[in-house]
Amino acid sequence: MTNQPRIAYVLDPRFPGGTSAAVAGEIAAIRPLVRPEVHAVTSRMFTGQSLSPALAGALEAAGIDAAWDAPVIAADTVILHNPAFLKFDKTLGRRIVARDLIVVTHENFLRPGGADGFDVAGCLDRIDRGTLALRKTLAPVSAHNRTTVTDWVGRNGLPPGWSMAADDWFNICDFPLMPPTDAPRDRRGRHSRPGFEKFPPRAVLDLCFPRHAETNVILGAEVLMEDEASATHWQLHPFGGLDLPRYFGMIDFMVYFTAPTWQESFGRVLAEAIAAGKVVISDAATAAGFAGAVVAARPEEVDEFIRGFIAEPERYAAQVRLAQATLSRFSAEAFRVRFAAATGLARKAAA
Amino acid sequence: MILIEAGERTDRHFDAKLLLASQLAARGHPVILDDRTLPDRLERYQKYEAARFLADLDRVEVTRVIVIGADTIGQDTLRALRHRQFGPGVAVHVVGRFADRQAAIAAQSRAAYALGREPEVVDLAALQGPTLVANAISPLAAAPVPRPLPERTPQLFVVLRQEALEDPMVLPFLSAMDQVPGFRLHVILPGKGKEQVKATRYAGLSIFGLSELSPATFAARADIAAFFGDGVPGERMAALALDLMRSGRVAIDCTAGAGFVAAGAPALRGPEDLGGLANYVQHTVLVNRRQIGLQAQRSPWLIARSVEPLESALGIAAEPATEPTAEGDAARRIVFLPTNGVGLGHARRCALVAAELVADGAEPVFAAFPSCIPMLRAEGFGCLPLVQKSPDHPEDHANDLLNYLRLHRALRPGDRLVFDGGYVFDSVLRVIHEREIDATWIRRGLWQAGQLQGSALDRERAFAHVIVPGEAFAELNNDRGGAKVHSVGPIVQERALPDASERRVRRDTLAARLGTTFSELVVTMLGGGVAADRTAQLQAVAAISEARRGCLNLVVVWPGAVVPPGIAGWKQTRVVQTRDALSLCLLADLVISAAGYNSFHEILYHRIPAILVPQMAAFMDDQERRARAASGRGLAETVLAHELLLLDREIATFLDAGKADKVRAALSAATLPAPGNRAAADLILGEEAP
Repeated sequence: MTNQPRIAYVLDPRFPGGTSAAVAGEIAAIRPLVRPEVHAVTSRMFTGQSLSPALAGALEAAGIDAAWDAPVIAADTVILHNPAFLKFDKTLGRRIVARDLIVVTHENFLRPGGADGFDVAGCLDRIDRGTLALRKTLAPVSAHNRTTVTDWVGRNGLPPGWSMAADDWFNICDFPLMPPTDAPRDRRGRHSRPGFEKFPPRAVLDLCFPRHAETNVILGAEVLMEDEASATHWQLHPFGGLDLPRYFGMIDFMVYFTAPTWQESFGRVLAEAIAAGKVVISDAATAAGFAGAVVAARPEEVDEFIRGFIAEPERYAAQVRLAQATLSRFSAEAFRVRFAAATGLARKAAA
Repeated sequence: MILIEAGERTDRHFDAKLLLASQLAARGHPVILDDRTLPDRLERYQKYEAARFLADLDRVEVTRVIVIGADTIGQDTLRALRHRQFGPGVAVHVVGRFADRQAAIAAQSRAAYALGREPEVVDLAALQGPTLVANAISPLAAAPVPRPLPERTPQLFVVLRQEALEDPMVLPFLSAMDQVPGFRLHVILPGKGKEQVKATRYAGLSIFGLSELSPATFAARADIAAFFGDGVPGERMAALALDLMRSGRVAIDCTAGAGFVAAGAPALRGPEDLGGLANYVQHTVLVNRRQIGLQAQRSPWLIARSVEPLESALGIAAEPATEPTAEGDAARRIVFLPTNGVGLGHARRCALVAAELVADGAEPVFAAFPSCIPMLRAEGFGCLPLVQKSPDHPEDHANDLLNYLRLHRALRPGDRLVFDGGYVFDSVLRVIHEREIDATWIRRGLWQAGQLQGSALDRERAFAHVIVPGEAFAELNNDRGGAKVHSVGPIVQERALPDASERRVRRDTLAARLGTTFSELVVTMLGGGVAADRTAQLQAVAAISEARRGCLNLVVVWPGAVVPPGIAGWKQTRVVQTRDALSLCLLADLVISAAGYNSFHEILYHRIPAILVPQMAAFMDDQERRARAASGRGLAETVLAHELLLLDREIATFLDAGKADKVRAALSAATLPAPGNRAAADLILGEEAP
């Protein structure tokens, strides 16, 4: 163990969404390989918020005590998750000394249309100024996320010493797989964190969740509950208002469109629904990251797709099974291989 | 329409929207505010300011959206943007002073998520540089205001904090400054400062509440403004200073922290001590006023903060226009606005003056309350209907808000407004200030003790002229006077007196029309309505008339007036609804009348024997004094409302003992002042009466 490379994670563990869940999955996945240091950073982005429960649980399970706001972080490989946590800070606020710095780009650098997703240049500059490393690498989490990073780099360039990782630093999707129903019905739903970016315009919602559907369940619907609750054929629940098994028990199709000005960088919610045995329908760009596991459709085609799957239950089941098989790309085992290659653990093991 | 939104739904954000809306509207841009964003608590002045911009978004076409204060764009605003689903043809601008790039990106992203498309970002920090007021929400851009008339006495506005009034020397200093020739002093105070001053012996000072008028309206009225306090006193006063400097006028920074000068504004650094201001203004500012203004206008700091770059960034660049002036190209109109008071006296008096103007070829029109409109229209005048106060309205000034909107739309800068009434409504006052109206106040005299003071006189300042229609008797003319107060003779309707044969013919015609005969005609017109219940007096006269052989009592009221139903039971009493009471009075043997201005003078000038029963209420003129002035001269008799036995005796004395003839003879011999109708018309036209 003493010759093992030292691995350090750096993140603000108060991220409420996918970043913390993804890191929690990583901590659990790499336990057989390495026991990393975890450096928690108190950034201004999450002032007043508390530690993510998912991450707290993973750290406790791994027997790791996070070190809070260490002035110096030294390791062979430092993995900094989601540089966007620095967007409200003036500096990195610490020194990182490492052979390799891997910056996992959970958030898209660009939004659809090309607007900056956040102050990428500022965040990268803060990291660059605070880090002494031989190599600094940007590691996208998905094909779409990679595209936004590449496009941003193409437009703005990178400081010397920075490069792009060849492989995606994907989210681990090790959810228990549930079998598909053999009698799908027109029971639709969607779930997400509340937020205007997660919801398409009302006209699109009306196409996705029409009055004639047997059920329309929308979880995380604060935006709609406060403004558009007049659609009486929608069952609106606040974020966390239903536990996921119950919610998945109410639907057979997950129909997921977002604001046209925003796109998921990875889409954990889609993977959750696939694992729960549901057919997932989304826009083409979001579906592209799932290699066929998500059915690509335009909003006006959603009805037709759903009718087709209901008419052919065996096709419904085949789609779910295909999608679940595709999820194996994002398994803990696949991640361990990816991780070992990136951190030198693979070479160590070979030696 | 351009919808102005704000990042948050606080009172401050709403006021900032109001500031920008006023400014853009003055530049000719069609702006609106979503009426659903109205704060729960709004100052009375703010309601007037906001009223003309509020709109139901379901009923208007929005072509552009400007979201100010977008650096803190909150859920309510985002929800509204999402709810509206503005089409792609509607440009949306998010405007803020963004602390850094992330702040701008965050504002843009949040709006983009709610809109479903990208907004335009306007970063005021980049466009204008640092602002005068920390955390200002409004863009605070300097806009030119109309040029004042060249002969105007310089108007000095002093902006103070309310706490300044705690210094016992402040009001004496202001009072001393108020006496300095060379400028007219006005004071702007926030909060309850105005009321505080008005409750002192310095109530004669011209005081404005900070939000009483928009900054642009203040700027149009000011030539010099001096700002006191610790620093720049908020967004409204910063906007005033900017507009002033942009208009080539003078802003004096007397703040302890030199807030304006330190920020780079081309303001003069003045004395921090109020006691030094008068000398500073007289010896430094007034002598160099034009040059100071020119220097300020050339300042790069001011140019960067001018309204044109902002308009350009918002995609609403106006046509290059010459500086607006108070004198428009359109013909100046004359609009009469009589209050409706107890009867229609104000409207009647205005109609008499308006008739003189018509004779001069002018085309005066009226803005009038519903009760006056039939009479005015019957006399050939066009009318803009105003809204009557009603207990059904949610607030006591709700009707005045609507009237403000109507007047604001109807009146153009430079128009002449002639207001006749005792209390000047907020709507009238605001429109005069905002529209640069040449206003005349026809203010009847004969105030009851203590009536003519405080806010009534305070509002006199808005008027270019005050016309006080004279009373028939000198001792009744008790207006306090003043430079702009002009007394004219009584404004009275004049008719040719019928001779005996003509009178006989007309009486026969009347009898035939009423289907009765009479040898003795009594006309009773006691007024009534909200001022007093005249049922007892009407019943008494009816009973007295009933007992007199051949007597006909005509109870004369305005069309639509309420008459006690019991009157209908008398055989020798008839109710006549007419706007032409004088025609009947000319035929009467005796008139029993209230002593309102119009009736009183019509009776006197037409030598009609009358018993005057004054109508008294706290808000009315002193009718008893007026009545007694006539009866003391033997030109009428006065009977108070409760003196019903005396009324009985006097009717008998008039009709049976020759008192009517004696009074008629005394009236014929009396010398009354010449009517003032013509003189009033000349004053309105700006021509002094000879």
